[in-house]
Amino acid sequence: MIETRRIVSPRKAALRRPAQGPRILSVGTATPPRKYTQEEVLAFFHEADPRIRSLFRSSHINTRYLYLPDPVDGRVVEETNEELLNRHLDGALEIGPQAIEECLRPLGLAPYDIDFLCCVTTTGFLCPGISAHLIKKMIFRENVQRSDILGMGCNAAVNGLQAVTAFARANPGKVALLLCVEICSAAYVHNRSMVTAVVNSLFGDGAAAVVVRQDAADTWQQGPIVLDFEPHIIPEALLAMRYTIDGTKLSFFLARDIPYEIGANVEKPVNRILGRHGLKRKDIDHWIIHSGGAKVIDAVEYNLGLTDHDMRHTVGILRNFGNLSSGSILFSFKELCREEVIGEGDVGVTIAMGPGTSIETALLLW
Amino acid sequence: MHAYDTLRVTQEGNVVTAFLARPDSRNAINMRMVNDLSHLIDAIDDAKDVAVLVLRGSPDVFTCGIDLHEFAAHEKRNIYGLQKWEQMCRELERLNKFTVAAVQGECTGGGFQLMLSCDTRLAERRAVFCFHEVKLGFLPGMASFRLAKYIGLGRAKSIILTGRRVRAEEALSWGILDRVCDQVSFDEALMETVNDLLPFHPVALEMARRLLDESYATSYENYLGHFLAAQYRAINSEAFDRLVASAARQEKASEAGRTGAGRRKAREE
Repeated sequence: MIETRRIVSPRKAALRRPAQGPRILSVGTATPPRKYTQEEVLAFFHEADPRIRSLFRSSHINTRYLYLPDPVDGRVVEETNEELLNRHLDGALEIGPQAIEECLRPLGLAPYDIDFLCCVTTTGFLCPGISAHLIKKMIFRENVQRSDILGMGCNAAVNGLQAVTAFARANPGKVALLLCVEICSAAYVHNRSMVTAVVNSLFGDGAAAVVVRQDAADTWQQGPIVLDFEPHIIPEALLAMRYTIDGTKLSFFLARDIPYEIGANVEKPVNRILGRHGLKRKDIDHWIIHSGGAKVIDAVEYNLGLTDHDMRHTVGILRNFGNLSSGSILFSFKELCREEVIGEGDVGVTIAMGPGTSIETALLLW
Repeated sequence: MHAYDTLRVTQEGNVVTAFLARPDSRNAINMRMVNDLSHLIDAIDDAKDVAVLVLRGSPDVFTCGIDLHEFAAHEKRNIYGLQKWEQMCRELERLNKFTVAAVQGECTGGGFQLMLSCDTRLAERRAVFCFHEVKLGFLPGMASFRLAKYIGLGRAKSIILTGRRVRAEEALSWGILDRVCDQVSFDEALMETVNDLLPFHPVALEMARRLLDESYATSYENYLGHFLAAQYRAINSEAFDRLVASAARQEKASEAGRTGAGRRKAREE
């Protein structure tokens, strides 16, 4: 891949670099065992409506990993809310630990070494939270600090990152673990309307975990310092993305224009976070952007003036996994790390958008 | 404005003019000039009081092209300087202000490419354009990428592969230039060209230009997605708010006019 980014930026050279800070040291991901093409999902639901079929085909998604129930006599069985909640928890406790193990393995850490556990999910309501279930299942310490972030949607990985980096900064040397686990297929409602079809065509299941620690011995090669955060909330669009109740089930609603509304607002937090550090967009080496859907990806790319190259992981994760909700940016982050293109001093911006309507950004420094 | 070694920069109102200024070497493009242009473009990008950037040369030469004195004589030459040049051209092409190339005299190689990166291109009748690189044994930068989009592959091959000189009138007829004028009316024509670009709506400019740059490069479906995202932003901008409000006022005024006229007509009868 040809480097088209700036070779020398005086602003990047002048950036104040902290001697140490909370670094993302490792990332792990996991998906359900079964992968579906869009055609297979349409066939699964026996979907014949040409508008819905065309929606699936134009989603820019090839495959998704899903926990779909086994059909009985070739028909999809209507599931109760209880069954969906169980599927969420069962799925989370299958792929959540896999993502955590993949994340801890390269560091030689075990769940027992974790000092702070933050779990993020939106696709199933549960009490006690996933963190408590994981502690029992994976043998974390009985005195591990924990937080569960429930219901913040696709942007919540950044909110979780705020929690684990704050912990890491306040407790140098201690290890914080963030898990984002979303079983979106447990929040599907199939009622043949376009509103639910949009959701059913878009979201996929997956889990992603990162370890964050502040330690003077770590360098850029271990991972980036999370330097800063900048949120942006659009209160007028409070209801643009939300759960509604369909009978007894939660049904996710996405307003038609919200991708473009996010696009029209995205430069606000980005300009603020970059301005605070004397940077401009063209100084940014790596963009880690939520794979929310084809429209919002176009809108963010256009409104920030980014290139297809900048968006390659965002587009690739959407194509291969669908919208993974909160875990999405961590999947993109993993792809970026795997490319081995990152150099010392590189600067990255993470953007995730979700209900609120909110746009959460973070600044990463290698 | 910052002072540069290789540029003379002036500002009048919201128009900044940068003159390529290396008189001893016919404005040859060296690394210093690339860095100066890059710095200037960066400053213009931030400037709230600028709407147009005009690039000019001297009265008899825009530039004679790349300065070969820049290259090491007896060692392996690296590509980074040329990459920096391409980066600068791209930043010019995507600047958040209008860009104008105003060419007098010789415009060779890199100068031709600078011109292709601008939004509008004006030249004096005596101006002559050419890409001599292939004739000399190297490549005319990413101009090969840009030129074919302006004039089609056949003509681009004819210009780049033969290195032949193109006169201003011919460049005008092919659409490389938007306007050709005589020496005496050059400044006047330039002013008209600048005024034709205004008023300046930065969002609309950036989006429209980016979509145009994509027009030969992407599928209809992808382009449509980009267009809708861009247009959403435009129709929710302050400029569009004003447009809609003004249309509503006109509608009201003409309605009032109609009812007024109707009453007068009734009275006359």
